[in-house]
Amino acid sequence: MKKVIEGSHAVAEAARLARVEVIAAYPITPQTHIVEALAEHCANGSLNARFINVESEHSAMAAVIGASSGGARAFTASSSHGLAYMHEMLHWASAARLPIVMAEVNRALGPGWNIWTDQTDSLAQRDTGWIQLYCEDGQEALDTTLLAFRLAETLNLPVMVVLDAFFLSHTFEPIDVPDQQQVDRFLPSPTPRLRLDTAAPNAFNQLVMPTAYMEMRYNTQLAMEEAVRRFDQIEKEFKAIFNRDYGPVEAIHCEDAEIIIVTTGTVTSTCRLVLAELRARGEKVGLFKMKMFRPFPVEIIRRHLASARKIAVVDRNFSFGAGGIFAQEIRAALCNLGQHPQVFGFIAGLGGRDITPQTLTEIYNETKNDSSPAAESIWIGLNQEIVESWSN
Amino acid sequence: MEQLKHHDLMNPGHLGCPGCGATIAMKFALQALGEKTMVVIPACCWGVIAGPYPQSALNVPVLQTAFATAGAAASGLRAALDMRGDTETTVLSWAGDGGTFDIGFQSLSAAVERNEDCIFVCYDNEAYMNTGVQRSSATPYGTQTTTTPAQNWKNTAKKNIVEALAAHRIPYAATASIGYPEDMIYKFEKAQKLKGGSRFLHVFAPCPTGWRIGSEMSVKIARLAVQTNVFPIYEVDGGVDYTLNFKGDREVKEYLTAQGRFKHLAAADLDRIQQMVNAEWKLLLRKAGLELIH
Amino acid sequence: MKNSPFKELPLFIPHSHTSTAVNKTGSWRFFHPIYDDKTAPCSAACPLGQDIAGIEMLLSRGLLKDARRLVLNENPFPAVCGRVCFHPCEKACNRTNLDAPIAIHNLERFLGDTALSPVEMPDIAIKAARNKRVAIAGAGPAGLSAAYFLTRLGYRCEVFEANAAPGGLLRLGIPEYRLPRDILDHEIKRIENLGVTIRCKNPVTKDLLEKICQDYDALFIGSGYGRSIALKIDGGHLAYDGLEFLRRLHLGEKMSFAGKAVVLGGGNTAIDVARCLARLGASPLIVYRRRIQDMPAFEPEVEMALREGVEIKELLAPIRLQRNQSESSFAASSYTLNLQQMKISKNQIHGRARIMPDGEKTETIKVENVFVAIGAEADALWHFPATDTAGAFSLSHCKFIDRKIPLVFGGDLTNPVDSVADAIASGKQAAMVLDTYFEKGPAAVDNALAACRIGPGPALSMNAYLGENRQTRNPHVVTYNEIVTDYFQTAPRVTPSLLDANRRLESFAEIESTLADQAAKEEAARCFSCGNCNACDYCRLYCPEMAVRVEKGRRSIDMDYCKGCGVCATECPRNAMALEEEIK
Repeated sequence: MKKVIEGSHAVAEAARLARVEVIAAYPITPQTHIVEALAEHCANGSLNARFINVESEHSAMAAVIGASSGGARAFTASSSHGLAYMHEMLHWASAARLPIVMAEVNRALGPGWNIWTDQTDSLAQRDTGWIQLYCEDGQEALDTTLLAFRLAETLNLPVMVVLDAFFLSHTFEPIDVPDQQQVDRFLPSPTPRLRLDTAAPNAFNQLVMPTAYMEMRYNTQLAMEEAVRRFDQIEKEFKAIFNRDYGPVEAIHCEDAEIIIVTTGTVTSTCRLVLAELRARGEKVGLFKMKMFRPFPVEIIRRHLASARKIAVVDRNFSFGAGGIFAQEIRAALCNLGQHPQVFGFIAGLGGRDITPQTLTEIYNETKNDSSPAAESIWIGLNQEIVESWSN
Repeated sequence: MEQLKHHDLMNPGHLGCPGCGATIAMKFALQALGEKTMVVIPACCWGVIAGPYPQSALNVPVLQTAFATAGAAASGLRAALDMRGDTETTVLSWAGDGGTFDIGFQSLSAAVERNEDCIFVCYDNEAYMNTGVQRSSATPYGTQTTTTPAQNWKNTAKKNIVEALAAHRIPYAATASIGYPEDMIYKFEKAQKLKGGSRFLHVFAPCPTGWRIGSEMSVKIARLAVQTNVFPIYEVDGGVDYTLNFKGDREVKEYLTAQGRFKHLAAADLDRIQQMVNAEWKLLLRKAGLELIH
Repeated sequence: MKNSPFKELPLFIPHSHTSTAVNKTGSWRFFHPIYDDKTAPCSAACPLGQDIAGIEMLLSRGLLKDARRLVLNENPFPAVCGRVCFHPCEKACNRTNLDAPIAIHNLERFLGDTALSPVEMPDIAIKAARNKRVAIAGAGPAGLSAAYFLTRLGYRCEVFEANAAPGGLLRLGIPEYRLPRDILDHEIKRIENLGVTIRCKNPVTKDLLEKICQDYDALFIGSGYGRSIALKIDGGHLAYDGLEFLRRLHLGEKMSFAGKAVVLGGGNTAIDVARCLARLGASPLIVYRRRIQDMPAFEPEVEMALREGVEIKELLAPIRLQRNQSESSFAASSYTLNLQQMKISKNQIHGRARIMPDGEKTETIKVENVFVAIGAEADALWHFPATDTAGAFSLSHCKFIDRKIPLVFGGDLTNPVDSVADAIASGKQAAMVLDTYFEKGPAAVDNALAACRIGPGPALSMNAYLGENRQTRNPHVVTYNEIVTDYFQTAPRVTPSLLDANRRLESFAEIESTLADQAAKEEAARCFSCGNCNACDYCRLYCPEMAVRVEKGRRSIDMDYCKGCGVCATECPRNAMALEEEIK
C-alpha cells in the first residue's frame, strides 16, 4: 500500500514487517525516528518484540549479539559517533557469524559536531566484516532492509543498510509498503543455525589459537564471496513477489561511455538528472550506481568500468592520508587489468554540503578536460575564501 | 551429599591456576543454579579458564562476549529467551572485577536500571588478573599491582560495588565468599528464585597467583577476609533492607600479613587500614540496624 | 532457513564441540593429596582404643546398627562402660578447647542400651572355630572380655567363676545406682550367646588348676583381688571390710544403718561404700589420709558423693580404733576412732605431694560404724607373677608365662589402672597375645601388638588385629590446632537428665538417664571426627578440578586432573588428609 512516509519510517516499517524479535538501540540524530517508530510499534502491539533501551551503541550491538546468539531475529540502528562507538562489536558480530541487520544513517563525524550526511562513518567500518548496502531513496531503503534479513540469515553474516542523513532519513516520499502476508512469504520465521541451547550446551566465541584462527577468518571471507551470487537469487525472489529489484550495482549507459561517473546514495538521484542532460548534449557519459560496497563486487566493476576511458568517482567521504574510499577501492579493482581507465577521485558534499547538478557537471567537465587527474583526490566546492584565509 | 547434585556441570582439565578462587566460585554457582543456565562471560580469567577452541569447561551454554558488554549481552540473550517463551532458563552474567567495576560498569548499571531478569555475578579477585595483575577499582587500598607497584601502591579505597548497585534499588544484591560455601550456595539459590528482576552477587574469589599466597590458601584467605570484616557478607533486599550474615572479630593485620601483595606495608599502614575497615563496618552495622553503642 | 534454495554454507567458528577433559592437567602438579586417616586423641586415650570418631559419625547419621558394630568390635560391654567408665576419652577430647568435650560416655551408654533388646548377636567379625580350648579363671570384666575376644578369634572358651553369678566387681562391687544388674545380665548373655561357657561356683583351686593344665591349651587368669588389704592399726580388725560389705549387699542381704559411719579410704570402693551407706540410713563420713584432690577415686564419683551428703575429711590417718562397750547392747555398736592429722611436706616424690604427720595434732571421733576400703590384693594362689624367668614377658595390661600351657595374667592383677575399661582391655590384649603365640610363636607378639596399637598405645584394636581398616591408620594423634575450627560453631554439650537430687537416697535407682535419640544424634554431631574422614564432602565441594571421586563411600583423587593445589587437605576440617610431594 502506498504511503507518504519519511525514509526512517520506511526502514522501521520493514523491520516491523520482518517480525524482528529483539531490538536494542540508542538514539542519535538522525537515526532517532527509526528507533522511536519501532518503540511505538512495540508499545502498541503492532510488533511483538522486546525493545531494550540500552545506554550506548556499544551496548546496543552487544545486546543484539546476545539476542542473536539466543536465536532471535535482531535489529538495531545507528549513525556517526554511535556507529564508531560500536566499532569493536561490529567486528565481533561478523566473526561470531550472526545474522544481525542494522540500519546505518550516514552522518558526519566530529569534531566539529555535524549531523548532516557524510559517508565516512560507515566506510570507516569497511573492515569489520559487515555486508554494506547503500540506498538511494525511501523505497530502496525499505526493500533493502527486507532483503538484508534474508541475506544475513542465508550467509550468517551481519548486514548494514545505509541511508543518507536527512536527504533520505527525513525526506518524505510515496513508498509502497508491502502487506504482511507478502513479507511473510519472502521472509519466513527464523530457523537460526547458531543458537544457545541448554539441551545441547556448548560454548561460543572462545579463545582460538593461531592454529585455527586464520581458517575461521577464511571461512568468513568465503561467505562474503558467496554474497553477490546469493543477493542476485534473493532479489529474483523479491522481484517475483514485490516486482522490484536493484542489483548490487546499477549501470546506466556504461556500455558505450567514455566517462563513467560513480555515485552512491541520494546523490545518485541528482546524477541521473545530470546524466540525462549531458547525454542530451551528446556527451558519451555513463552513470554507475554502487549499492553493494561490501563485499566489493570486483568482477562486476571490472565488467562495467574497464572499457571506459575515465572514471569520475564521487566520494562523499575521506580517509585522511589516503583519499576518497570508493575511488581507492575502484582503483584497486582495476589496477591488475591490462588496460584500464584513469580514475579521477572527487571529494564532495562532506558534512552535509549539498551536491548540486552544478557540482556534478563541474566534476564531469574536469574529468573530461584534464588529461590526467590534477591530484589523487580533487576536493570540489571548497570555499576558497576560507581556504585562503588560513594561508595568510 | 545433596549439595553436589550438579557436580557434572563443570569439567576437569580447565585452564584455571591451581587453587583458583574463581573456579571454586563457579562450582558453587552451578551447584545452586543447575543445568538450565546460560553463562555470559566477558573478557576475564574465566574467558580463558572456560577452555580454548574447541573445548568447553562447562556443560551449560556459554556465550563469551567483549570486555565491556556483559550487562548488554546478557540483556539481549534474556530478550531472545523470553521471545521464544523460555522463562525457566537463568541467564547468568559471570564477569571479573574489570568487567563489573570498570570497563563493564556502564553496561551493568544500565542493565540493572532496566531491572533486567538476569543474575549478574562479579567474581572479584581484586585486579585485572587475566592480563597480568594490573590494578582495578576493586583493588583494595594498600595493594601492590603491576600498575601500582610497591613504591607507589594503590592509595584509593576499593569501590563499593554493592552499594552502587543497591542504589539502583534492584530486588537483590549480596556479597558472598568462597570461604563460606553454604552461605554462597544459599544466596545463589535465593537469587534464582527471585526471577523477574536484576540480582547481583559480589563473590570474593582469591587469586593465589596475583595475591602471592600458596595455592592451598585460597579458601582460607576468603574466609579470613570475612572474619576480619575486610569483606563482610551481607544482603540488600530492594536496595534498602540490609541483612548481615556474619560478624567478624579478628584483626585486619592477620589477613594482610598472610598475603605477599601486602608485604610492603608498614605498621602504620596496617593500622590505617584497620581504621578504614572499622569505619566501613560501623556504617554497615548502622544500615543493618545493628549499630553498636560504643 | 527452511525451504531455502541455498545449500548451507559450512560454518567454521569458535564454537565448542568437546570438553576440556581432554587436558590431563595432572601433569601440572608438584604435590598431591592423599586421604590419610589419623588417630583421634579420644581413641588413643581409651584403654580399649575404640574408634570413637567413627562411632560418633555413624551415630550422628542415625546409622545405629553400624555404630554398634564399631563399638562391639572393640568392647563387649558398652552399656556397662557407658555407666561406669571413667572416660579418659573426654579428657583428651579436642573439642574441649572450643566449648566442651563430647559426652562420649553418655553416647556409649546410648548405643549400648540400644543393643540390649533383643539381646542381639553382634554383627562383627568372628573367625572360624579352631581346635583349641582356653580356660579362664574369673568371670569379671577381664575374664569375660578375654572369653569374648578369644571366641571371636576361634577359640573355645570356658570361664570358671567362684561366685554364684558372673560379673566380678561389676556385680559384687559397683552399686546398682551406677550399674543396674539387668543391664549387666544382658551384656553377659550376649557373650554367652557367642558360645562361651560360664561355670559358676567353680573356683580354680589347686586341683582344678592342674586339670586345666592338662586338658586346655591356655589359661587366662582374671581373678582380680581376692583379698582386701587389712587395716594395720590397733583395733583395725574391728573395721567392717568395705568390699565384703558391698558383696553381701549385692547378694541381697537386707541391711540398715543409722548414725555416723566412717569409711576409711579414698578410692572408688570407699566412695561406693559411702554412697550405699547413705542409702541405707547412715550419715557417711569418708576419712582420707591425703587431700581430696589426691583421692584415687574418679572425680565425678567424689562429686556425686558430696552432693549426696557424704562428708569427706582429708589429711587424717587412723591410728586407733576402739569399740565402746558402755553403750546399750541393742543399738549398733559405736566406736571411737583416733586420727592423726597429716600435712603436706615440702618434699615431693615423683611429683606427688608427700604427706607426713602434723606434729602431735590428733582428732577423736565417735561413730556408729567404721568401714575400711584401703585396697585389695591377689589371692594366695595367684602370686604376682614373676617375669624374669625364661619364656615370660610383660605387656601393658598382661603378663605372659609359658608353663605347661601358656598362662596369661590380666585384669586388676596386672593393669596400670584399676578400671573396668582397663580390665576389658587386658582381656583383649590377652586374646591377641595367645592367638599370636599359637599362630606364630611368642617372638612375634611384640610386632603383632605394635601393628594394632592406637596412636602411641597402649590401647589395641581388634579391628586392626584382624587386618581391617584401622590397621593402616596413621598413628599420629591429631591435636586441636590441626582442626580447622572455622567449620564448627559452638554448641552446648548435652546434659543427660538426672534423678532429682532429693530422691536419690531413697533407693538404689539409677541416677543418670540414657539420652533420647535426638539428643544423642545432636551430641554425636558435635564430634570433630579428629583425623577421620566423616564424609563431610568439603574436599569434593571445593576441588576446582573435580578431581575428588567417591565410589561406594570410598574417596580417591583423580590423578589425571589434580593440580596439587592443596585446598582439600588444607580445608579438611579434621586433618584427615595429607599432602605428599610429587616424585617426577
